[in-house]
Amino acid sequence: MPLALYTISRKDLFDLLGRLAEINRVFVPYAKGDKLYFDEFDASKEDLIELGGIRQSQPLKTFLNPAREKVFNGLTRDPRPAIVVGVKACDLASLAIQDFVFEGGDVRDPFYAENRDNTTIIGCDCTYAKETCFCLAMDGAPYPRKDFDLNLSSVDNYFIVEVGGPKGEAIISGFNVFFKEPSPHARSIRESSRKAVERQVQSYIDKRGIPNTDQIRGVVKKNYDSTDFWKDMASTCVECGACNLACPTCHCFLLFDEKDRFGAKRFRIWDACLYNTFARVAGGANPRKHLYERLRNRFDKKFDFFPQVMNSFACTGCGRCVEACAGDIDIREVLKGLVSGKWNKPPHE
Amino acid sequence: MKKNPYAYIKAEILNITNETATIKTFTIRPQGEIGFRAGQFMDLTLPGIGEAPFTPSSNHDHKGTLDFTIMAAGRVTKLLHQAKPGDIVGLRGPYGSQYPLEKFKGKEVYIVGGGVGLAPLRALLYALFNDVNVYKKIILRYGARTPSDIVYKNEIDSWRDKAGHVDVAITCDVGDPSWKGNVGLVTTILKDEGLDMENAVTIVCGPPVMMKFATFKLLDLGFKDHNIYLSMEKNMSCGVGKCGHCRIGPYYACKDGPVFTYDKIKELPGIWD
Repeated sequence: MPLALYTISRKDLFDLLGRLAEINRVFVPYAKGDKLYFDEFDASKEDLIELGGIRQSQPLKTFLNPAREKVFNGLTRDPRPAIVVGVKACDLASLAIQDFVFEGGDVRDPFYAENRDNTTIIGCDCTYAKETCFCLAMDGAPYPRKDFDLNLSSVDNYFIVEVGGPKGEAIISGFNVFFKEPSPHARSIRESSRKAVERQVQSYIDKRGIPNTDQIRGVVKKNYDSTDFWKDMASTCVECGACNLACPTCHCFLLFDEKDRFGAKRFRIWDACLYNTFARVAGGANPRKHLYERLRNRFDKKFDFFPQVMNSFACTGCGRCVEACAGDIDIREVLKGLVSGKWNKPPHE
Repeated sequence: MKKNPYAYIKAEILNITNETATIKTFTIRPQGEIGFRAGQFMDLTLPGIGEAPFTPSSNHDHKGTLDFTIMAAGRVTKLLHQAKPGDIVGLRGPYGSQYPLEKFKGKEVYIVGGGVGLAPLRALLYALFNDVNVYKKIILRYGARTPSDIVYKNEIDSWRDKAGHVDVAITCDVGDPSWKGNVGLVTTILKDEGLDMENAVTIVCGPPVMMKFATFKLLDLGFKDHNIYLSMEKNMSCGVGKCGHCRIGPYYACKDGPVFTYDKIKELPGIWD
């Protein structure tokens, strides 16, 4: 199928976002130091909007399965559709996992489903990589190939726009005055920019010797009882759960009840499997009493459970957990250790 | 919006029976259509405070009310123990797998319970009693910590009398002067009963350590892996396989269990923890 490609100038894109923001909640990435953060579109802060770069600090799940969502009694949901602009490929790859969990099975999570239906996702190519990026090792790429409604590839002062779904087509046809036919060279220009970032990611992977998915398959199961390995890996874990919360594929939540003068309410709140209480039952039994068991569980879930139930690793190589970890536990080094049987971390006490 | 899986319906507490110092049976009347099949669990809510998963302990064919036999163990259950008849709780479910009664037909059904783990087994017994003649034999082996920890004291004798079909034996880990029965863990009363071991089924529910040693004893006695039904206690929360808390290997106890046959989970790490 031929790709539907258009171009839009940077100025026209911001005019378009302004128009879309009249009836939608539009979220765009803003630069803050060397990091990017999603926030509501504000034309006056146009200079800070970065529609390239790398993935934002917030994972995409923030918009679909928010950190805290009221799920019972007194539901007050914003009726306006959302448009999230500038989503990177490593976050788009997480949609398969989040969709599987919340939309799959016998029961759909209606809150996720509604958010998903009401959210338009506009992807964009990475224009550089960070040392923590390893999407290529996880069979991804630093540019979106699927799971977007529109995608933006930054070229000089304009963007090449690719249509990926009906919500994207609706924007093109509703605002066709902003979109131009691409030059005959658009595709090759996009291709060469993409190759350059790909080379950068690959160089980080090569330098560190990060294993690929073929090498990773089965290694958690194989090393499940390598207690020394897991204990060494967990020796600096402070059980903060940041790796879980920052992860675009981590989906676990708890149901939290509270009441106020209007009555009882229930919230669905992100939980973290690194927390001691995660699997504990009131009777006292805890299948994962030790911290190393909980760290191992995180890898077991991502690299053994999800391959078994949906034939996919639940890691997209975004590197957020590497940055978030206060104990310098590096998912890339854990995978390397699992594959090679060698690791250099101070032994546990 | 589609059906909300996290919403509960209201239910009124009608009656509270003190089973032991820490265990009570709550009879509740849901204000709406809701039922279960023996082995399945439901989430019981104290509105605005929290919820916890329990397997109903009453006859699944009984309409109108449900029993829950609950030990005061955590935050929700301790508060629940302070509830009074007339109080309103929340209920959602049922969730998970049931005991496959169809498969038990014509067979010897050997039931092993420990402590408050007798609750789901009471639902199973009542379900079996609904059609008591289609099972070859019903045997109950129950262990409690002390004589005063035995639940359903006033009912157990009536189970014994069920048309001569039901063979009941009870043991206590520790006796007292009034106790004339067996003293020892439940495994001490699991014995060769001359059953048809190719076909006999056994159903186990109790604390994790009891389930572990009972299962090993049942295997020694000759029960087949696929005939050992275990009600696995895990931290089930959402009930629909999404929240992630009750994972056992490739399964979620809430939707793939809580009733598992031993052959399905025996290779998985940490099932008894």
